[in-house]
Amino acid sequence: MGLIGYTCSYIPVEILGATGHRPYRLLHGDPRLSAGSDRWLRVDACPLVRSNLSFVLRERKDFAAIVGSTGCDMARRLLEVVKETTEIPVFVVNLPRTDRPDIYFDEIDDLLGFLKRIDERRLKEEVEKWEGWRDYFRELSGKRSRFPSQLSTRTLQRMVTGYHKGEPRTDDFDPEPSDLPRVILLGSPLAYESGPLFGLIESSVRIVWDFNCGISRFIEVKIENHNLDGIKKAYYNQPPCILRRTNQDYYDSVKRRLARLKPEGIIVLTLDYCDSYEFELNRMRRVFDLPFLHLRHDFSFQNWGQLRTRLEAFKEMLV
Amino acid sequence: MDIPGKISLTEWSERFEKIPDEEIIKYRYYKNKDWGRYLQPPATFYIYGARELKRLKLDNSFAFLRMWGFVFNESERLFRARQVGKKVIAVSGDLGTVPVIILAFPDAVPFYPECIWWTPFFNESKVLLEEAHHHGAPEAACFSKAAIGAFSKMAYFPKPDLFFASTGASCDDYSAALQIIEDLGFEIEWLEIPYRKGPDYPERAIGYLSTEYRRVYERMADLVGKTGDLSSSIRRANRLRGMVLEIKRMVRDAPVAPILALEMMVVEFGNLYGYGDFDEWIDIVDMIYGTVKERVESGIGVLARDAVPIAWITPSADPYLLNLVEDLNLRVVETEYVINQAMGLIDDDDPFQALARSFMQASLIGSTREQVARIRRSAAAGKIKGAIITTMIGASHCAMETGLIEYWLKGIPVLTIDVPAPFGITRQIKTRLEAFAETIRAR
Repeated sequence: MGLIGYTCSYIPVEILGATGHRPYRLLHGDPRLSAGSDRWLRVDACPLVRSNLSFVLRERKDFAAIVGSTGCDMARRLLEVVKETTEIPVFVVNLPRTDRPDIYFDEIDDLLGFLKRIDERRLKEEVEKWEGWRDYFRELSGKRSRFPSQLSTRTLQRMVTGYHKGEPRTDDFDPEPSDLPRVILLGSPLAYESGPLFGLIESSVRIVWDFNCGISRFIEVKIENHNLDGIKKAYYNQPPCILRRTNQDYYDSVKRRLARLKPEGIIVLTLDYCDSYEFELNRMRRVFDLPFLHLRHDFSFQNWGQLRTRLEAFKEMLV
Repeated sequence: MDIPGKISLTEWSERFEKIPDEEIIKYRYYKNKDWGRYLQPPATFYIYGARELKRLKLDNSFAFLRMWGFVFNESERLFRARQVGKKVIAVSGDLGTVPVIILAFPDAVPFYPECIWWTPFFNESKVLLEEAHHHGAPEAACFSKAAIGAFSKMAYFPKPDLFFASTGASCDDYSAALQIIEDLGFEIEWLEIPYRKGPDYPERAIGYLSTEYRRVYERMADLVGKTGDLSSSIRRANRLRGMVLEIKRMVRDAPVAPILALEMMVVEFGNLYGYGDFDEWIDIVDMIYGTVKERVESGIGVLARDAVPIAWITPSADPYLLNLVEDLNLRVVETEYVINQAMGLIDDDDPFQALARSFMQASLIGSTREQVARIRRSAAAGKIKGAIITTMIGASHCAMETGLIEYWLKGIPVLTIDVPAPFGITRQIKTRLEAFAETIRAR
């Protein structure tokens, strides 16, 4: 069984899984790995995209196919480099930025055509399997959101890594109650290698919810009807990506969570050159109207001392 | 006919004095006899703030004097449009197709806010960029963010009556900039740009786009209270595009460069929207066409006969770079300014579908391989000896496509230049250009 890579929260993992291959979300963020992409990408490309390309080029024999989207420009163009430089079959979902479900639904039909070996019975089994896992992670995420929070995002991230790699774990864990200041996390995608970063953040504050690709964003997808139509609707109607235009729904969606979870602050993590979030920082500060910390990073550990100091200062401000 | 050449601002002022008054007052925008004059010596625009003109060398023909007067007059023209009751329509992101619909309606004037990205460079001023940073645009991003500054200041164009912005499978920087502009309080009608999955893209993409274009038409009809003549505006767009294609062909094939790269770039970008007065722009391009043809037929031009032909990929936000390259005896004969969608002729079948088909040729919605295919053919045929790519740090497509462009153009020297902020061209950049020129000449 090979891997079937994917890059976006709008790619239905159930459809990929129904091929018999293991869905594997490309979420690599290791600066040492990034050097492998230097032949094709400039240093001002997204650090996640650079690492992902290096990973794919190194592990190319493992991939049966890769499915991406036009969700963000650099991720779309990553697929182009893969297509031009490897034999891996590639499919790009034309993900509309505006409210055009017709385009998305047509694209999912085309994706089925590209993947070929999919029947309805298999698809239904996959929906039940993945929906079961999402139920499990929804419950876990609910624990970190409690008053007081019972689970760290560091632990949650460690466990959801299995989901993103197509081999979910459902381990037991000891409760991790915390009375540190409650914050929510927004911003760019996080990587498999981001665990230590969560450890650093949560030495000062407790992250009680996130809306980041690579952590728990996938749990927002809830498939009601266990068929293709149900998959399309659930994925299309998930809380929207910040790249949607207009992206007011993104803000409304986050504000609803703020009202429910009552965090004391917001941390926004952005990757270098991530326009999707960096252009929005001023508006986030104004709209969310909570103590706000912006941390920019490139997955390296070079600025950890500075990050620690800023996190400590942020914590002091919150308490 | 004057001997073609490059002249400075001062030389243009001296020449301007010899132009008869009746010639100067003949050219007017919006065909208005009372206040539509735009023919000025370029020094006027220098005094108004375009300080880089002092460093630039310009073509000495009357046709290009007229062109510069018209192009630099755009801001005045837009405010005048508002004053006399025309509808001012902002169009963003698609670079060349939506204005054809706008122009179907009488008294509607389109403009592209992102084209203000040249202003910080012509003005040698970071005011617009700093204003954009103040509103949240990052430093490392496409210079089109200057549009945020312009919307914030509202001193470069009036508040648009409608604002159509395309988003989708295109660059992220400008889409993000547009979102800030919407947040500043400007209501945007968003249009979806589909992704082109190769030359045999699914036919339904035409349907998606046609739906969007019909919506633009209907919104315009509601705004002006009458229907528009889309067939007529497509015919006018085709007349312009046909002339520009022919000018480009002459520039590529002539033994001596008939015009300069900077002027050619301004002509190409005129295809997007005729700088807001389509009929006057067609007249200007017609005059330029005549000038180019005459020069080509006479075997004369503005650069040396042995200037080395190169291609230019992605437009430079700083016009000065185009001049510098020509000073090194290079000659731009092929361009890919990410506006391929505005260069080809539009079919004359169902107008919305025809516009959609035209847009599906867009530079940035497909693969890099397709984007530079024409340049590759020219390289293979020996028509270009090198290529320059101008990029911007942090711009989404630049970071991702440059390596692929270099790969597809292997076999010829390729130089990539990150265009620095206004007034930022350093000795280092000049040295790199010199080394590039030497490399090409040595082959």
